This record gives sequence, C-alpha cells and structure tokens, in this order.
Amino acid sequence: MAAIIEIQNVTKEFKTLNRHEGLKGSLKDLFSRDYKIVRAVDNVSMSIEQGEIVGYLGPNGAGKSTTIKMMTGVLEPTSGEILVGGNAPYKNRSKNAQEIGVVFGQRTQLWWALPLIESFRLLKDIYQIPDKDYNEMLELYKSLVDIEPLLHKPVRQMSLGQRTLSDILAAFLHNPKIVFLDEPTIGLDVSMKAKIRTLIHELNRQKNTTVILTTHDMGDVDALCRRIVIIDKGKMLYDNDIEHLKGFFGSYRTLKIRVDGDMNAEAEVIKTEVPDFKVSSDDEWISILVDEDKSKVLDVLGLLQKSHKIRDMQLEEISTEDVIKKIYEEGVQ
Amino acid sequence: MKRKNLSFYFRIYCKILAQDLKSKMSYRADFIISTIGMICTNISGFISFWIMFRNFPSIDGWNYYEILFLYGFSLISLTPVQCFFDNNWSLRQNVYTGDFIKYCFRPINLFFYYQSEVFDVKGLGQLAFGIGTLVYAWIKLGLGFSVLMLLKLIIFLLTASLIMIALQNAAAATCFWIQNSFYVLDLAYRFRDYAKYPVTIFSKAFRFIFTFVMPIAFIAYYPSLVILRPDQIPILSWLSPVIGVLFFWISYKIWMYGATRYSGTGS
Repeated sequence: MAAIIEIQNVTKEFKTLNRHEGLKGSLKDLFSRDYKIVRAVDNVSMSIEQGEIVGYLGPNGAGKSTTIKMMTGVLEPTSGEILVGGNAPYKNRSKNAQEIGVVFGQRTQLWWALPLIESFRLLKDIYQIPDKDYNEMLELYKSLVDIEPLLHKPVRQMSLGQRTLSDILAAFLHNPKIVFLDEPTIGLDVSMKAKIRTLIHELNRQKNTTVILTTHDMGDVDALCRRIVIIDKGKMLYDNDIEHLKGFFGSYRTLKIRVDGDMNAEAEVIKTEVPDFKVSSDDEWISILVDEDKSKVLDVLGLLQKSHKIRDMQLEEISTEDVIKKIYEEGVQ
Repeated sequence: MKRKNLSFYFRIYCKILAQDLKSKMSYRADFIISTIGMICTNISGFISFWIMFRNFPSIDGWNYYEILFLYGFSLISLTPVQCFFDNNWSLRQNVYTGDFIKYCFRPINLFFYYQSEVFDVKGLGQLAFGIGTLVYAWIKLGLGFSVLMLLKLIIFLLTASLIMIALQNAAAATCFWIQNSFYVLDLAYRFRDYAKYPVTIFSKAFRFIFTFVMPIAFIAYYPSLVILRPDQIPILSWLSPVIGVLFFWISYKIWMYGATRYSGTGS
C-alpha cells in the first residue's frame, strides 16, 4: 500500500529575538537585530500508510504541534519535503484541506451559536459532500454514539466532552483520508474518554481513515495506537510498534512484597541477596525491579521466601506511561 | 471536486447568513438593545451636526443641504463595512489567542471564511437612516431625478464602500505583524468621521493625506461631486471607482499575506 503521508528530512526553524532582561533590556530589544535561530523540528522523516493510527508523542514543546501545522499546510517547512496524499500541503492549502480533518484540543471549529446539525449542514456545503455520503455518515454516527440530544443543541451550551465529541464528528464528516487529533481527550472525564476512544477506533476501522493522534494520555495510546512516534527537542527519538517499545528496556516487572520485621532493615538484606536488581522501599512495600531476561520473577520470589517471611505480594507490569517517561527523561540509547 | 466559483461562495454566504440571523434572534434582549443603541448614536450624530449648522450656515461654500447630502452618502457607504466585515474587529483577538488557526483548515478562501462568520445587523439601521437623510437632502436641493443619476449614485456608493472596506482590512491586518494593533484599527475608524465633510475645508497637507494616503476623501466627497456639482467635477471623482477596486484588491492581498505569515501559538 502506498504511503498517504510522506515526510522527508523536514526541518522547521523560527527566528526569535534574543531578549534582554529589565527595562533597559527591553529598550535595547527595540532596536536589536540580535536574532537566534530556534530549530523546532530537526530533520524528521516518516512515512505513514492509509488506515494507520499513529500516536505522535513527546513532551511539551517537543515540536509536535509544529509538525502537525506543517502537515496541515499552516506552516511551510524550512527545508525537506512533505507530501500529504501526493500534495505539498503548504503550496496547496485549500486542496489539502479537502482531504484532511483537524481537531485541535479545546478549540472548537464549529459555529459557536449554531446547533450541531446546522454546523453539519454548512460543512456539507463547504466540503461539497454528496447527499448520499452525508446521510450515510450521519447514520454511521447514530449507530456509534448517541448524537440525537446533541444535534439540536447550540455548541456554546455544550459541555467540554460533548463539544469535543462534536468536533471529532465534524472532522470525519467529509470522510477525509487523514484526521489529525491534537489532544482530543484533554480535560475529559473517564467515561467520556472511553466513549471518544471507541468512536475514533470505530471510525478508523469502518472508514479506513488514517489518524494522527498527539496526546499526553497514555490511556489513549494503549487504546488506539499500534505504532508510535516519539519526538523531543525537534528530533525523532522513536518510530515503531508499541509492543517493541515495551521490550525496549528489557522485560521489566516490578515485584512488591511485604515482610515481617523492620521493612527498611529487611530491604537492606534483600539488596545483598539480589544485587542485579534495583530495590527500593517505603513503609508499606519493598519493590524489586526484576529484569526477566536475567531471572524470572517466580525464582526471585522463591529465593526471598527462604530467608524472609513474606506476608503479602503484588506484581506490576511496566506500563507504556513508565516507558515513555523513561524515554523523555533519559532518551533512547 | 467541483470548482469553487462565485456562485458557490454566494450560496455558502447566504446559508451562513441565514443561520447567523436565526441565532441572533435567539438573543432577543441583545438584539433590541443594540438596535436602540445604534439609533441613539445616529440621532446624536445628527443633532451635533444640526447644532453646528445653526451657527455656521455654510462651510466653505457648501450649504446645509449639500453637507447633509454628504452626510447621508457617507452613512450609506459605511453600511457594507459595518454589516459584512465586522469580524475584522475580532481579528486581533483571534490572532493573539491562537484561535485564528481554525480558519486555516477549511477548503475555501480564508478571507471569505473569516469575514462570513459575522454579519452585523446593526448596520441596517444605519442604512435606513442614511437613505432617509440622502433622500431628504436630494429633494431639498431640487436635484431632479433620472435613471442615469441613480446609476451614477449606485456606482459611486459602491466605490465609496469598497474604499472604506479596504481601509479597515488593511488596518485590521496590521495585527499579523504588531501586537497592539487596536490603535491602528481605531484610528482608521475615527478617521472616517472626516469623510462627512468636504475635503476642501482641511488644510493642504491634510487634503493630500485624505486623498492619497488614507483615501477617505473618496468615501463621500469626490463621489458626491458627481451628483452635486456636475459642472466642476475633478478628474479624481471619475477615478474613484478605479481607486476603490484597486484599494480593495491591495488590502485583500495584504490581509492574505499576513494570514499566511501567521504561525499560530503553541498548544
């Protein structure tokens, strides 16, 4: 299958003024030509196929939004090439807009004063959606979410969750090839998050829409993405399957135990018994980070049982969140 | 995909307009209060105008009814900018907060999409007031009536509107470059008050500025001469339709150029 998004060696630089401090500094800035170049996106390449859901992750200020703005045609890359559905987005913004849908976090793109159904009708005209496709899409929406109560409600009266849901529906309405979702679940309650994840998943499955998802919520990533791309300080850190990511740092699991006697003293003893693993303790639990490539959790437990009286135990899998956190903090070796 | 021609945009505009009016009517108190406000503004403007003329029966050879004609003419020509381009006033805010980015994602003309979002009904009151004033002055001046004159009037009203729209577009677009652009827009707004007077009452320097730099003399003065002083029409009057279209085109280009420079704030 051909790639729907092709990004090759894309770099985006911004020119910013070197600001000086204080009032005197501000006056200086007025006449200063002392610019520095900030590289928001640095030599990024990737290729995304039709129908994929890609999680685009990175800490705040990593360059995610800048990349998305380049893919949607709002920004022009400083160098490198972007092709979205065969088009260069910046050169042909209007044509590109016909092929994509965009939801930007908490900023609604719907008409504030209009009921949702009227917004849909306007979008139908703007995107020149044929009646048949439009009606089919509405039927599909009705089968996926309970939109009846939303259709006749003005957007300004909606809750944040309802509005986000409406924005997502509006972005998919013209059946675009690609939908960009920038933090779609930010600020939403647990049940709304789940609803929105199911909706995105179903629309992707039934319409084969490519979805580019940026988020800080690893729940979104676990529920939706098979592939993730991580970027930090403008540079690409990781681009692969999510399963591969979990194995990236070895197969770690955390064994937590509670023993008789003074926990801190016991922990010191355990440290000498399993010198390969990181041991930490608080008043309730002693945690041992076990690398299963070295020895199995059950073996470690068996070993400890010989010299300690274990009252209780827990086993924790390493989560996507832990892995991502580790990557943000330590980078990829 | 079908080509997007003028009739496509016209149809879209009508639909957005109809929706907008529908939603405006739902804020009934707001609608009534703003209409009353508009009427008061116009009446007070008219009263100060009237008081002035009680003391000076003519200004620089222009009598009361001729000035009244100019006044009515400028009110009508200000209607389109008030009705159709009022969203320019929010441009600065939209750019500052980053909300402007949402206009960049639709497959239609950015300028059109942005301006279509707001239709200001208050302008209609101004239009009615302007027409009333103009007709009254017309009758009192005994100008007579012919189809040709009406045609001229309409053409020059459109011209004047285009210039006013152009001024506002250009002033609003400054927000793409500078942070505190409200003053520029406000300045352009205030300057249009001078459009109500014959440009000959100003000093030479201002006459030059109002003709060639901020062409507000084209909003009412030069076009009105065609109707009021058919025996002494300066070449600038006949040029005003060309200048109107030219200025509008330039302001549109400036606006669009600013919009493409726009990069949005982080999110």
